[in-house]
Amino acid sequence: MATAESTLKKIQVQRYEPEEDPQKYYLNEETGIWAWLTTVDHKKIGIMYLASITLFFFVGGIMALLLRTELWTPAKTFIEANTYNELFTLHGTIMVFLFLVPAVPAALGNFILPLQLGAKDVAFPKLNLFSYYIYLTGSIVVIISILTGGIDTGWTFYTPYSVTTGGAVTMAVFGVFIIGFSSILTGVNFITTIHKLRAPGISWDKLSLFGWSLYAVSIIQILATPVLAITLALVGMERLLGIGIFDPAMGGDPVLFQHFFWFYSHPAVYIMIVPGFGVVSEVVSTFSKKHIFGYWAIALSSVAISFIGFLVWGHHMFVSGQAAMASMVFSFLSFLIGIPTGIKMFNWTATMYKGSIDLKSPLLYIFGFFFLFLVGGITGIVLATIALDVHLHDTYYVVAHFHFVMVGGMVMAFLAGLHYWWPKITGRMFNETLAKIACGIIFLGFNVTFLPQFVMGSLGMPRRYFNYIEEFQTFHQVSTIGSYILGIGFVLVFYYLVKSLFSGKKASANPWGSRALEWQVSSPPPLHNFHHTPVVINGPYEYHKPMDEFQLGLVENGHDHSKTSGGTDDNDGEEHEKAE
Amino acid sequence: MTGHHIATDKLLLGVFGALLVLTGLTYGVHYLHLPDPWSIIVAMIIAIIKGSLVALFFMHLYWDKKFNAMVFITAFIFLALLVSLSLLDTVFQPEIHPGF
Amino acid sequence: MANHTPSTQSQFFQHHFVDAEQQLDASKMGMWIFLATEILMFGGLFAAYIIYRFWYPELFVMASKELNTLWGTVNTVVLLGSSLTVAMAIKSAQLNQKKNIAINLGITLALAAIFMVIKYFEWTHKFHLGIFPGKFYVFEGIDHPKASVFFSLYYLMTGLHGIHVTIGIGLMIWLLVKANKGHFGSEYYNPLEITGLYWHLVDIIWIFLFPLFYLID
Repeated sequence: MATAESTLKKIQVQRYEPEEDPQKYYLNEETGIWAWLTTVDHKKIGIMYLASITLFFFVGGIMALLLRTELWTPAKTFIEANTYNELFTLHGTIMVFLFLVPAVPAALGNFILPLQLGAKDVAFPKLNLFSYYIYLTGSIVVIISILTGGIDTGWTFYTPYSVTTGGAVTMAVFGVFIIGFSSILTGVNFITTIHKLRAPGISWDKLSLFGWSLYAVSIIQILATPVLAITLALVGMERLLGIGIFDPAMGGDPVLFQHFFWFYSHPAVYIMIVPGFGVVSEVVSTFSKKHIFGYWAIALSSVAISFIGFLVWGHHMFVSGQAAMASMVFSFLSFLIGIPTGIKMFNWTATMYKGSIDLKSPLLYIFGFFFLFLVGGITGIVLATIALDVHLHDTYYVVAHFHFVMVGGMVMAFLAGLHYWWPKITGRMFNETLAKIACGIIFLGFNVTFLPQFVMGSLGMPRRYFNYIEEFQTFHQVSTIGSYILGIGFVLVFYYLVKSLFSGKKASANPWGSRALEWQVSSPPPLHNFHHTPVVINGPYEYHKPMDEFQLGLVENGHDHSKTSGGTDDNDGEEHEKAE
Repeated sequence: MTGHHIATDKLLLGVFGALLVLTGLTYGVHYLHLPDPWSIIVAMIIAIIKGSLVALFFMHLYWDKKFNAMVFITAFIFLALLVSLSLLDTVFQPEIHPGF
Repeated sequence: MANHTPSTQSQFFQHHFVDAEQQLDASKMGMWIFLATEILMFGGLFAAYIIYRFWYPELFVMASKELNTLWGTVNTVVLLGSSLTVAMAIKSAQLNQKKNIAINLGITLALAAIFMVIKYFEWTHKFHLGIFPGKFYVFEGIDHPKASVFFSLYYLMTGLHGIHVTIGIGLMIWLLVKANKGHFGSEYYNPLEITGLYWHLVDIIWIFLFPLFYLID
């Protein structure tokens, strides 16, 4: 931008209205299985991610239902204790590494980000495809490790247990190690894309808030994931060679594993939730038909979360024998993370104030998000308090907190984003009534499942236990019933979304009336996103400006300044002065 | 292509010469057996100078976009975070190393 | 933001960029971001090193004597030399001296191989003494109960570095093949430039490993 020759240049733009009901789009321009497998198109790669994470979400979800069913009675209900241990490990590993981490950035982000930037693709399309295959390879390795020996360490792989237990832990950590590289390369790709491929006019203050959140997330992905990689490699080496880095008998320190692990895994929960925040900003503004309140506050609070997120990992370790000095510092820093998150909540609420709210299903999911994430966030502050955490550590209270943030927060935001962009991705509208019903079922089922767990946890029910004392049985049974309701809700979402592919009515280019750039192309978008180079003069949330200011593009061959005029068929051409 | 600095032979060889001198220096200082903290401090200062020379001139950071330098420095800042916050625990643990 | 002016397009120009300059800038930025992840990846091991050196300062002094300072220094010089030739190769590409690209890459490759050979002899010498990593450690020459921790770190860090050198050798061979086909010149040398960045980072990491393991007293 600020190059030596920062002079004012005249470019000629005209309005390009998106084509309704396009004949050629990205799904039918290249067809066949081979074209899909070797595609470098960010949209198709996004869809391949979407299909994969949906599969893993249901696999992980079935495991959760099996776990809840087993907990119907205090003793054994229908599976062995060891199977139970393996199941909760797999549920955690699959949901965290195979679903949550890639869900919004790799699936929705891949599809939407280049469209929002007015780019033809991400910066490194081949690398993008490569990341997907790394992800797939890692996932297959994890699945094989499940089938060949099982893992019962919990998704956290704590030493020394993960070093001494049998089973396929080495292979499982290797699988997660591989998936980590997929995450890193996606982060590299996104940061470069956001820096280098923004269409003319998209300055940093006109970048979509979804783009800002992906930028913040990519920072975490590239700086935290390599530490996870090396940590898991060390666990593998510990199992193979007994290197002793985490073994006190040989001079190592098992708590060091926890430091390294949480250096990644705490920021990783922000990898999961912050892109969800980006979705919330988009949806809230679109369905309130109002400029987002506090654009910079929301944008920079994403970056602040990703930075402060690196300073708080020790709050997972208050009872690990960590020095009191470190615990105090980490507890204090953990409270700070509430500030940027609170800033976001207030700004979203302020955005809706006096907006003309259209309560479509994506916004309904966001309302679910607001309630559930608020509970999840505030119980997080409770857990960051050392004295309370010592009591609540490793109880169902932590389980409930984590699920309120991850399922109530992130999955709700993911579903909101999926519904919001579904017409753009597929070109079809889903059944709005069913969507609202499903949202209600999920919200109800979720609360029935996890609210009792807060009570159980504060009464002292430890997590990850196969057996429990009888006075907790009512709570567990309510929770189990809730999990079935929740499961029905997710199946219903799957049903009507898939049904819409075949019998949904065709979506218009901009069904929600949004001002954002991704809605200014046809649904589904053309293979190379834009037939013209988009030119942006307004930010994506400026609902007080007329629509024709949001559909500008360079006049064909218009970037060749020697040509006298670029007047083509539609002579809506305007001249805009802009600094390059 | 415009805007990309082309390093001269003289500069590249000069930097390489400086790196060799510094390597010799750190090797020589090792045999002086400086008192305890100074040995590592001197060795690290020399290593940082050498690393900076490579980054600035061989990796063209001196002429390159400032953002790339920022990325590079950011990585070290986060590494410092990892080390310092881990040390906050390991240094202040009641026993210097676990006694079990 | 890039200038939206079309430029002369080489056969390696990708259509989603505006011009070749933007393509080079983007690939360089991508590589720098990737290098940040490399720093953090080695960083985990450096953090472990710092913590254990803090805990067992006397062990590090004793165990370091088992490492051959002279060969460590030689390897440093070898790696610095290879960094120089990579920088020379890029300069040759920028000046469109196609023959010099291949020559410089060839020297780089040779120096990288020398580095690995020296590393091989250092490791096998230690194996010969019974200094194996972790639980296989049987050496009795160091009177310290935690002696294996030092060598675990040594093997892990030089091993991870060695893996990076090996990957670098693979990349250099690939570049050499492409250079011989005349793919690189002043119009297009992106792979050269970004592989160079990678190679220099591997060099910088060695610059730190060298005093941390070989020069302790």
